[in-house]
Amino acid sequence: MAEVALLEKYLLIGALLFRIGLVGFFTRRNTIIMFLSIEMMLQGVSVSLVAWGRYHNDWGGQILVIFILTIAACEAAIALAVVLSLFHKAGALDIALWQTLREDNQPAFTDPKMPEPRGDDPEWPKLTPAGIEPTADPDEIIHRMHV
Amino acid sequence: MNTLLAMIGGATLLFAAGLWLSLPRGRAPGRALGAVVVAAGLGLFSAQTVSLGSAIADVVFYLIAALTVISAVATISFRNPVYSAIWFALSLLGTAGLFLFNGAQFLGVATIVVYAGAILVTFLFVLMLAQPEGQAPYDRVSWAAPLSAVSGALLVGLLTFVLADVFQNPVVEERPVAQVSEAELADGVLADQHMATLGRWLFGRQLVSIEVIGTLLLVALVGAVAVVGQIHHRERGGPMHG
Repeated sequence: MAEVALLEKYLLIGALLFRIGLVGFFTRRNTIIMFLSIEMMLQGVSVSLVAWGRYHNDWGGQILVIFILTIAACEAAIALAVVLSLFHKAGALDIALWQTLREDNQPAFTDPKMPEPRGDDPEWPKLTPAGIEPTADPDEIIHRMHV
Repeated sequence: MNTLLAMIGGATLLFAAGLWLSLPRGRAPGRALGAVVVAAGLGLFSAQTVSLGSAIADVVFYLIAALTVISAVATISFRNPVYSAIWFALSLLGTAGLFLFNGAQFLGVATIVVYAGAILVTFLFVLMLAQPEGQAPYDRVSWAAPLSAVSGALLVGLLTFVLADVFQNPVVEERPVAQVSEAELADGVLADQHMATLGRWLFGRQLVSIEVIGTLLLVALVGAVAVVGQIHHRERGGPMHG
C-alpha cells in the first residue's frame, strides 16, 4: 500500500477530528458536550500519531496513543466529578452560570435569545419598607444564586 | 497550483458554512442543509488527497473516514446531549476502524473497550444524573458559532493545502520495501506478532513511563473521589473543608 498516501489521508482525518472538537468546545454551552469535544480532540491527535508511527515503522506512535488513552480516562474521571459538583451548586449544566469567574475587565454575558421560563412568578407578601434599599453588585447577586 | 488553491478554498468555505448551519442556533432552520454542505466540503477535501493505490482500499478507507467525521460533526451539532454522546460513540467506532486499517490492532480494540465501554458510559451516567427534563435552553444556542466555524475550517484548509503541496511533489523519495531489512520488518509496527512486539516495547523501553502513568491513574482516582465526596459532605451540613 502506498505509505505516503496513507499518511496524508490520516493526517487530514486527524486534523478534521481535532478542529471539529475545537469548534464544539468553543461553541457549545453544555459542560458535558464540552468535555466530549475535548475527548474528540484527543482522538484526532491519536489518529495522527498512529499514522506517523506506521510511516516511520516505529512503535512510539502507538505507545503514545496508549498513554493518551490513560490520560483520557484520568481526565474523564476528574472532569465528571467536577461537572457533578458544578451541577449540584448551580442546578444546570450551563457553563454561562459560572461567568462570575471571568476577569475584571470583561463585560458580563447576557443572552437575549434565551426563551422565557414557563410559569408565573409566585405572589410574595408586601412588607412595609424599612430604610433605604442597599445597592448590591450585580455580579455578586448572580454569584449568590448558585453558591 | 491555482486549481488546487481554488479547490481547497471552496472546500474550506463549504465546510465552514456547513458547520455554522448545523450548529444549534435557537430556532433558525437549515440544520439538514448544513449536514449536506459539510458532506460536500469533506468530499472536496478528500478529492485533494492521493489514492491508496487500490480501489477496494480507497472505498473502505473513505467509508470509515466518512463515518468518523460525520459522526463527529453530529456530536457537536445535536441539541440533546444524550444524542451527542451516542454519536460520539459512533465516531469512536470509526476511529477504532481507522486504527485497525492502519495495522494498530491493539489500539483499535482498546479504543472500543476503554472509550466506548468505560468513559462514554460514565458520561451517560452523569447525563442521567444531571440532565434536567426536556431540552434545556442553553443547549439550543451556541457561542460565536460563525467565528468558530470559519476559524476551524480555515485551519483545516491550510493544513490540507500544505499536505497536498508536499505530497504531490514529494521532496524525499519513498524508501522501497526491498531496502527494509528483515529484522526491521519483524520488529516493526506491521510485525506478525503484534501483541508480543507491542508488549515488549511497552514493558521494556517504556517501563518507567508505565509506572508513572499507573501512579497518575491512582492520583486521578483519589482526586475524583475527593471532589465528589465534598458534595455529600456539604449536603450533610458539615464544614466546607473539614
